[in-house]
Amino acid sequence: MTTQTTGFQGGAPPSALSGQRRGPAPAAPGRASRPGSAYVLPATLFFLAFAVVPVIGVFVLSFTSWQGLGDPTFIGLDNWRRLVSDPGVLAATGTTFLLTALSWATQTPLAIAVGVWAAGRQRNRAVLSTIYFLPLLLSSGAIAIAWRAIVDPNFGIAKYLGPFIGFPDGNIIGNPKSALYVIVFVLIWQFVPFHSLIYQAAARNIPAMLYDAATIDGATRWHAFWFVTLPQLKNTIITSSTIMIVGSLTYFETILLLTQGGPGDATVTLPYLMYQGAFNNYEMGFAATVAAVIVVLGTLVSLLIVRFSGFGRMRSTLEGL
Amino acid sequence: MTTPAHISRRSLLGLAGLGAGALTLGTAGCGSGGQGASNAAAGIDVWCLKDDVQNKIQQAAIDRFNATAKAKAKITAYDNDPYKQKLRIAMGSPQQPDVFFNWGGGSIRQYVQNDLLADLTPMLNGDPAFKAKFIPSVLDAGKIGDKYYGIPNRGMQPVIMFYSQQALDKAKVSAPPATWSELLSQVDRFKAAGITPFALAGSQAWTLLMWLEYLVDRIGGPAVFGGIAAGDRNGWRDPAITQALNAIIDLVKRGGFDSNFASVNYDGDVGAGTLFAQGKAAMHLMGSWEYTAQLDQHPAFVKDALRSAAFPAFEGGKGDAKAVVGNPTNYFSVTKRSRNVDSAKEFLKAMASDAYVDDWIANGDVPAITGLESKIAQSKDAQFGSFVYKMVQDASSFQLSWDQAIENKYAQPMLTNLQKVFLGQLDAKGFVDAMVALP
Amino acid sequence: MAERSIARPNYAAGVLAGIWLVIVAMPVVWMISWAVQRRSEYLANGPLALPRNVTFGNVQAVIAAGFTKYMVNSAIVTVASIVLTLVLALPAAYAIVRSREWLAGTVFRMFLLGLAIPAQATIIPVYWILTRLGLYDTLTGIVLPTVAFGLPLVILILAGSLRDVSGELYEAMTVDGAGPLRAFFRLTLPLSRGAITTVAIFSGLNAWNGFIFPLILTQSPEKRVATLGLWDFQQEYGVDVPMLMTAVLLSALPVLFLYLFARRWLVAGLAGVGGK
Repeated sequence: MTTQTTGFQGGAPPSALSGQRRGPAPAAPGRASRPGSAYVLPATLFFLAFAVVPVIGVFVLSFTSWQGLGDPTFIGLDNWRRLVSDPGVLAATGTTFLLTALSWATQTPLAIAVGVWAAGRQRNRAVLSTIYFLPLLLSSGAIAIAWRAIVDPNFGIAKYLGPFIGFPDGNIIGNPKSALYVIVFVLIWQFVPFHSLIYQAAARNIPAMLYDAATIDGATRWHAFWFVTLPQLKNTIITSSTIMIVGSLTYFETILLLTQGGPGDATVTLPYLMYQGAFNNYEMGFAATVAAVIVVLGTLVSLLIVRFSGFGRMRSTLEGL
Repeated sequence: MTTPAHISRRSLLGLAGLGAGALTLGTAGCGSGGQGASNAAAGIDVWCLKDDVQNKIQQAAIDRFNATAKAKAKITAYDNDPYKQKLRIAMGSPQQPDVFFNWGGGSIRQYVQNDLLADLTPMLNGDPAFKAKFIPSVLDAGKIGDKYYGIPNRGMQPVIMFYSQQALDKAKVSAPPATWSELLSQVDRFKAAGITPFALAGSQAWTLLMWLEYLVDRIGGPAVFGGIAAGDRNGWRDPAITQALNAIIDLVKRGGFDSNFASVNYDGDVGAGTLFAQGKAAMHLMGSWEYTAQLDQHPAFVKDALRSAAFPAFEGGKGDAKAVVGNPTNYFSVTKRSRNVDSAKEFLKAMASDAYVDDWIANGDVPAITGLESKIAQSKDAQFGSFVYKMVQDASSFQLSWDQAIENKYAQPMLTNLQKVFLGQLDAKGFVDAMVALP
Repeated sequence: MAERSIARPNYAAGVLAGIWLVIVAMPVVWMISWAVQRRSEYLANGPLALPRNVTFGNVQAVIAAGFTKYMVNSAIVTVASIVLTLVLALPAAYAIVRSREWLAGTVFRMFLLGLAIPAQATIIPVYWILTRLGLYDTLTGIVLPTVAFGLPLVILILAGSLRDVSGELYEAMTVDGAGPLRAFFRLTLPLSRGAITTVAIFSGLNAWNGFIFPLILTQSPEKRVATLGLWDFQQEYGVDVPMLMTAVLLSALPVLFLYLFARRWLVAGLAGVGGK
C-alpha cells in the first residue's frame, strides 16, 4: 500500500510542486496520508472568480467612464479627481464615520450588558433572552420595512411617540437632524441581539473560579464586572467591534429602504452614495471609485483592528464560534 | 496503487459537475435575450409601470393582440423608482424587454445613443393614417434628434392643482387661487380653518419638483429650463430660478405644507393622497394620475369634493398661465435586440385601436389622440377628462418633467438639492451654486 | 458579606433589562398586532389599538399576491447556496488543515484577507461579470457571489473545527490503508458534523436574508426572492400595512422554525452571520 501525497497523479501531468515528491512514497509509521492542493482548488478558483476579480474590477472601473450600457472607456484619473473635490463625497464620508462611531458607541455597551446579563443561569433570564433575540429572525429588509411603518408621522407610532421625545408632529424620519438617529436606533434594534449572543456565549465561558477568587477578595458586583468580566471578554469585544465597524462602513440596506439617503442628503453614507451613483445616476465609473474607497476603508479598518489587537487571537475567537 | 488518486480526481469531477448543475439552475427561464431570426415562441415582453388600474387596460389590449398574433405579448410591471433602475440594468444586459414604457426625452436618450432602440420613423411615415391619430406636439415630444423612437400610447399627464371643494367651503375660500398672491393669502385662511393648505409627499423629492417646474415656467417661461435640459448648466443662474426658489421658501415658511411633510410618503394610501382625501389638506399639486388613483381608493371623495384647476399665474411673470408641465404622455419603444421587432411594432399599432382608446377614456384618462372631444364629453369622467383635454390643447407649451428631461446624472442631485431648499438647508443661491458646480 | 453582594438579586440590572425588553418586544408586538387586523380597522383605529377582530385574511391576500413564489425562490437560492458552499469549502478546509503543500497555506491566508472584503462594495463588477456570463436575472446569479463572499468565514470556522480531529486518528486510518479521500469521508466529515451544521445554517441565513445581490442581479417577478418581494410589496401596498406586516412575518417563518426546533444550531449559525 502506498500513500499519495498529492491529488495530481494517475495520469495527471506532473506539476512543479509534485515533482519534488515524484513517485509513491513508502508508508512510514507515524506519517498519515495527506490531501493535496487539488482539494483547495475549486474553492480557490471560485473565490477568485466571484470575489477577488470583482474587487480588482472595482479598482479597474474606477478609472473608467461607464454608464451601464455598452463598454466602459478609460478616462484616467478623472473620477479620482472628482472624488476629492466633490462636496457630496466629503459629506457622505462624514456621515459614514458618524454613523459608524454612533453605532459602535451605542451597540457595544448595550450588547455587553445584555449579553452578560443573559449569560446568568437564572430561569427568568433564559425566558427573557428568548425574546431579546427575536429581531434575529427577521432579515434587514423586513426590519427596515417594519420600521418604515412605525415611523410614519400620520399613520404610524411616531405620531403618538413623537410628542414625548421632542417631535410634536411626529416628523422624526423627515427631519435632517434626527433621520440619522432613526437609522442608528434601527441598527441598534437589529444588531444588538446578535452581538449580545456573542457576548452571552463568551461570558458563559468565563471560569467561575475567577469570580470566586474576586469574591474572596471582597469585590463588589461592579468590581467583578470591571476587573473580571470585561478583561475576559477582551477578545470578544475585538471580534464584535470589528464586525460592527466594518458592517457600519459598508452597510446600506436600511438607508435604502428607510430614507433613501434623505431628507436632503442627511443619511447619504458612502455605500449609499455608491449605490445611488451606480443605479440611480448610472455613473458606474464614479460609483466604482466610491466603492474602491469603501473596499480600502473596510479592509484597512479590519486589518488595523486585528493587527492592533493581535491577529491570532481574533482567529481563535472566530474559530471558536 | 493509484486508486485513491483516481477516486480523488473523479470526485473532483463530480464536484465540478455539481457546480455546473448549479450554474444551469434558473437559466432556462431567461427572457428574450439574444439576436437572431424572428422567434415567435420567445414572445413579446412588455415592460410598464405597475398600476393596478391602468394595467387592466394594458392587459386587455394584450389579450386582444394575443388572440390573433403568433408572438404572444406579456406584461412585466414594476413600481416607479425600481422601474427606471430595472430597465436601465436590463438594457445594459442581454436580457432586454421587447417593448417598454418610458417618458421620452432624457429617459431614452442614452439608449438611442447606444443604438439600442428600433427607429420607428419608417413605421409612422409608412402609415399616415396611423400617424395622424396622435396629437402632433405630443408625438413630436417623443423624438430624439429627428427620429421617432416612441409611440404615445398612453394618457396625457399634465400636473394639475387638485383641490377639495369641501375644504374650500370649510375655509370659506370661493375658488382655487388664480394668482400666486391669492395662493399665499389662501394659505392663511386654510390654516385658520385648521386645514393644511397643500398635501405634499415630501419624502419623495419628485413631488417637490412639480412646484419648481410650474413656478419657473410661470416666472420665466419654458425656455429657462429648456436651456438647462439642452446642457447649459449656467442656465441655473437665470433669475427666474432664484425667484421661483424664493417663492417656495416663502411658501414653506408661511406653513403652506405640513411641518412633517418630509416624512410623508406618496406611494400607497398611507400617504399624501389619503391626507388629501380625508380632508386634512385642501389642495394637492400632482400629476393627472392622482385622479384615477383617488377614483380607485376614495371614490366618494372624487364624487363629492375633488376638483381640478390650473397652476396660478405669477404676478409680473413672463410665462403663459396656460402653459403646462408634466408628462406629455408615456411612450412605448421597441428594442433593437428584440427577436420580434416586427411583431412588437404590430403590437404598438394594435394598441392605438379604438377599443384601447375607449378603455382609457372610460378609466378617466385622456389619451394623446386627436378628435376625442365628443367621446370624452360622453364619458363618466367627462368633467375631469374635458378639463385635461382642453388644458393640453390650449397649452402654449407642455414641458416634460425635469427629472425625466435632464441628463440622468443631474436628476438625483437636482432632487436632493431641491429637497434641501424645502427643508431650509439651502437658500436659492446655495441651490443655484450647487447645480452649477456639478461635475 | 462580600459574597452576598454578588449573589443578591440585581435590581438595577433588572430594571434595565425590563426597559430593553420593551424596546425589543414592542415593535414585534405591533407587527403581529397589525398583521392580524383588517386594513380598514388599522386605518380607522390607529397603530396603537389592539386588533378587535383577529383575522388571518391577510395571509391569503399575501399568498394571492404571489409571495409563496418568492419564498420558494428564496428557498431554492438558500439550498443551492448551502450545497455549493459545503461542496467547495469542506475539501478546502480539509486540505488547509492536513495538506503540507504551500498552496494550502497560501490559500488560507487569502481567505483570511478575504474576510475583510465588503461584499456590498463589489456589486458593480459583480453585475458586469454576471451579465457577461449570461447569468443576469437567474437564481444562479444570486447564488454565485453570495457563496463566494461567504466562503472566507465558512472556511475559517471549518478549519478551526477540523483541527480538533487528532492526527493520531489519521495515522490510524493510514495504517489501515486509507488514502486522503477515504480519510476525508470516513473520518473528517463524521467528526465535524457540528461545524458543518453551523456553517450550513450560516450560509443558509446569509442567502435567505440577502438583499443587494438579488436587487441588482434579478429583474423578473419569476426570479424575485422574498426579501425583494417585501420591498415590492412596500412600494405597491404601502397602503396596506397589515398585509405588509403579514408578509414580513411570513418571511421570518422558516427562521422561526429553526429557532424553535434547532435553537442550538441556529445560534451557532447566527454567530457566524455577523462576519459578513
